[in-house]
Amino acid sequence: MMVLITGACGGLGRAMASECARRGFELFLTDISFEGLDSIRQGLERQFGAVVYTHVCDITDAGQTAAMFERIKGMEKKPGMLLNIAGIDHEGGFMTQPGERIADIVRLNVEATLRMTHTALDIRNKTEKFYIVNVSSLASLYPIPLKATYAASKRFLLDFSIALGQELKYENVRVMALCPGGLPTTREALHGIAAQGIWGSLTTNGLGLVAQRTISRVMAGRRVYIPGVVNRTLSILGVFAPPAMVARLLYKRWRQAQRQWLTDSL
Amino acid sequence: MKTVMITGATSGIGFEAARAIAAQGMRVIGVGRSAERCEKAKTMLLDAMPDASVEYVCGDLSNQREVNAVSDTVIGMLDDEGLWALVSNAGGVRNWYTTTADGYETQFALNYLAGFLLAHRLWPYLKKANGRVILTGSNSHKMMRMHWKDVMYKRCYSCLMAYKQSKLAGMLFAAELNRRQYQVKAYVVDPGLVDTEIGAKETGGIVKMFWKLRSKGGVKPEVSAQTYAYLCSRQPAPDGLYFHGCRPVATSKRVDDPEDAKRLFKLSEQLCGIKFGGDEL
Repeated sequence: MMVLITGACGGLGRAMASECARRGFELFLTDISFEGLDSIRQGLERQFGAVVYTHVCDITDAGQTAAMFERIKGMEKKPGMLLNIAGIDHEGGFMTQPGERIADIVRLNVEATLRMTHTALDIRNKTEKFYIVNVSSLASLYPIPLKATYAASKRFLLDFSIALGQELKYENVRVMALCPGGLPTTREALHGIAAQGIWGSLTTNGLGLVAQRTISRVMAGRRVYIPGVVNRTLSILGVFAPPAMVARLLYKRWRQAQRQWLTDSL
Repeated sequence: MKTVMITGATSGIGFEAARAIAAQGMRVIGVGRSAERCEKAKTMLLDAMPDASVEYVCGDLSNQREVNAVSDTVIGMLDDEGLWALVSNAGGVRNWYTTTADGYETQFALNYLAGFLLAHRLWPYLKKANGRVILTGSNSHKMMRMHWKDVMYKRCYSCLMAYKQSKLAGMLFAAELNRRQYQVKAYVVDPGLVDTEIGAKETGGIVKMFWKLRSKGGVKPEVSAQTYAYLCSRQPAPDGLYFHGCRPVATSKRVDDPEDAKRLFKLSEQLCGIKFGGDEL
């Protein structure tokens, strides 16, 4: 099977790619960084002897995405799995940043993911199963002040995934939303987890394990995967507690964490 | 003038080793991740020793592309004498499983594999000088064996186990180099417990708290630096592999296992895409 991965050079993308390579899948990796793609391709070839194709592409650009899919269409094998991992968040309050920067979050997390999903489904081999994983977040389960746009964009992916999974259930398509807590991917993320103190450690998930279980679960037909016991418990809060109350609680937590985080990284 | 290259030379043990080695009249090329900290370290050393020859090269050694770039830069800076010593000291601790740009577990890639690749890239220049490879080891290599089932600790990551393994790997590498009887001698320094920031930099939570408490009981890095200066200056080359306080000390029995050493050597060549000392594959 060939797996198409967006945001493949980021921390989660690399972990997913190496999990897929370990399982013997072929890979088609895309990201905006040429150097990053080159490094991870080389690493996967050396570590697993994997077959890896790479394509530099800004998936928020419709033209570039179309060109990438033209290349995929010309390939012998069609992707059997799509991992929509590319996503961004800009730390800071809504009014502390330019509007366009905020809109970029939606352009990548929502618009580009929809475009990828639609095109990949369109060209899929319809006689075989097709798997999609959308990387949502624990943040999708509540409204989160100071991360309002990010959390809402992830909520979109959660609801969209569940609905689309139902819609295409009888057409051999499985869709799963992955809702991780903190993921220790980059130096910044590690600082962020440390800045949140005990909450950071409790809601953080090991990257290797999350990658392994994500692939197993989507192939088993699961709709949502929330890694970690603490996170699953917190998710229940999102179902029963009134949104305004959760927002009040989270505002307190994030204001403090973000202040420390932003000063730490200076 | 003999040239010594030291990685992780902007703080902690590497910085003090750079100071001790420069004080002996050798030329020091330090490597650090942050350009700003490299500049600061260079200024500090030159302020203290205006006649010393100290330069810094900037690069993130967890990324093989940058290891290669740093090697190219350093090779360009060498004179006809070649490279007298490579001190591969850069290292770090991660309390979560993280991967490098190449998709390798960070502690394995940074604490061990970077040194392997650097030694390979600089091998012709080390041979020219009949030089030495000196790795920063740790007593934590003891009570440990290679986790061959999952060298990158992807499935059951433990910060301490991954660290111990990375240090054992360095020992196995140095032992294998000596077993091959090149003119270049390989050594590993046990710095002992040293009061540095290594366990507090990219970690947090319990690991950070524990390290902050524990490192207080350690010696100052300038104490450990003496062993590096000793191994760089002593003539003829001292016998032994593993040094603490300028004296050879006992290693774990696992280090003597030639099978493990060969297997690791082969894996490292594969992960770097090279044939050690020879042409690139």
